[in-house]
Amino acid sequence: MIDIEKISSNSGELKLKLSGRLDTTGAPQLEEFLEKELSGIEKLTIDFSDLEYISSAGLRALLAAQKKLNASGGVTVQNSNEYIREIFDMTGFAEILTVE
Amino acid sequence: MITINHLKKEYPNATPLKDVNTVINKGDVISIIGPSGTGKSTLIRCINMLETPTSGEIIVDGENITDPNCKIDKVRQKMGMVFQSFNLFNHMTVIENIMAAPMQLLGKSRQEAYDRGKELLRQVGLADKMLNYPDELSGGQRQRVAIARTLAMDPEIILFDEPTSALDPTMVGEVEAVIRDLAKQGLTMMIVTHEMNFAREVANRIFYMDQGGIYEDGTPEQIFDNPQKERTIRFIRHLKVFEENIDSKDFDFIGLVSKLEEFGRKCRMSQRLIYRVQQVFEELGVQIILPELNDKFHMELSLEYSSDPENIHMQLKYDGKKFDPSDSDNDLSMRIVKNMTEDFKYERDEENNMNHVSAVING
Repeated sequence: MIDIEKISSNSGELKLKLSGRLDTTGAPQLEEFLEKELSGIEKLTIDFSDLEYISSAGLRALLAAQKKLNASGGVTVQNSNEYIREIFDMTGFAEILTVE
Repeated sequence: MITINHLKKEYPNATPLKDVNTVINKGDVISIIGPSGTGKSTLIRCINMLETPTSGEIIVDGENITDPNCKIDKVRQKMGMVFQSFNLFNHMTVIENIMAAPMQLLGKSRQEAYDRGKELLRQVGLADKMLNYPDELSGGQRQRVAIARTLAMDPEIILFDEPTSALDPTMVGEVEAVIRDLAKQGLTMMIVTHEMNFAREVANRIFYMDQGGIYEDGTPEQIFDNPQKERTIRFIRHLKVFEENIDSKDFDFIGLVSKLEEFGRKCRMSQRLIYRVQQVFEELGVQIILPELNDKFHMELSLEYSSDPENIHMQLKYDGKKFDPSDSDNDLSMRIVKNMTEDFKYERDEENNMNHVSAVING
């Protein structure tokens, strides 16, 4: 189960907070949300402090957003837990996204 | 200390205890385990005569408590009982709950009962809750008060009837810690529990109950690592094994993830291993294999847990054409799987049109 909270959207930067699990069922919800919200956005910042788990389905959703915003500002992920950071490292996503 | 001979307890519709025979020695800490309905609670309720046995005898310190002439109240004072549902008096403060029985039954003065109550509350970590009412406490705290209340009667044996079953999982640990402490102090205890890791670590003896009696009696190592009898073997194996069949692409993924979580908690796996098991299944089963299967298919997931070293042996079987996940072009999922597993093996059973994948997931 995923919960997507829009924190703010101004000056071309969208800030979100994700809670729960970004997995096979959660990732399509994020994709759908970003589909609607990313127009006019240059930079996406996502707070992962309440996100427990991420699978390849979630990584793909982040990758799609990164591709869309690559020229402008890309995707920044903040406050990931140790488990998710390990997934970023083993998949090379630590290099693709900005991980803070 | 307690000798039980040919104990039988019959109800109109069931006979949970057919023939129980055992000797409980001073200082024994006995965990009573077994499937539901095998008389675990009935046994300890018979030992303090909350249930009247149909036949047989229970001898406590030389006294036959099943004898109608036995002064049962006197014998009961030697035995404390901790119930699943705490059974505290809600109109009394925590300290009053603890003081009541020693004053009424042991003739202790108010001051003596208070001093001892305070000491016991300190022992169970609740000295600061002395003046609270039970409904101001969490479930775990209430159960710790119930244990302190039992100790206030200076029992020679404490009987615990599923002491953590009614608790939120986050509170199980605090109650178990208190019971573990008591075991170290040399109190004689019998604990009916479904928490297998706790049952194993707290006790010096395990009763596995089944078929109307103590089906197998042994040390924790004997029962959990090397059970001898058929039903014990089956029960212990089942604790460590998870099996699930999947027959539709629209299967309940969220439900299965929750079941894996529950299985992990039951085995007391680390959270990291629980996530890894969920992840390997999701990447391999859902992301890589599922898209390759026909609409009509059959997939079997089985997991077997080992605690030392902590790992999971996973097997996935699926029918249909030959498909080795290592040949998948889903590099991202496969990279995660390979990172999280060892001994990744694929075999094809052409005769039965089945694919077998096995791997070990490390914690």
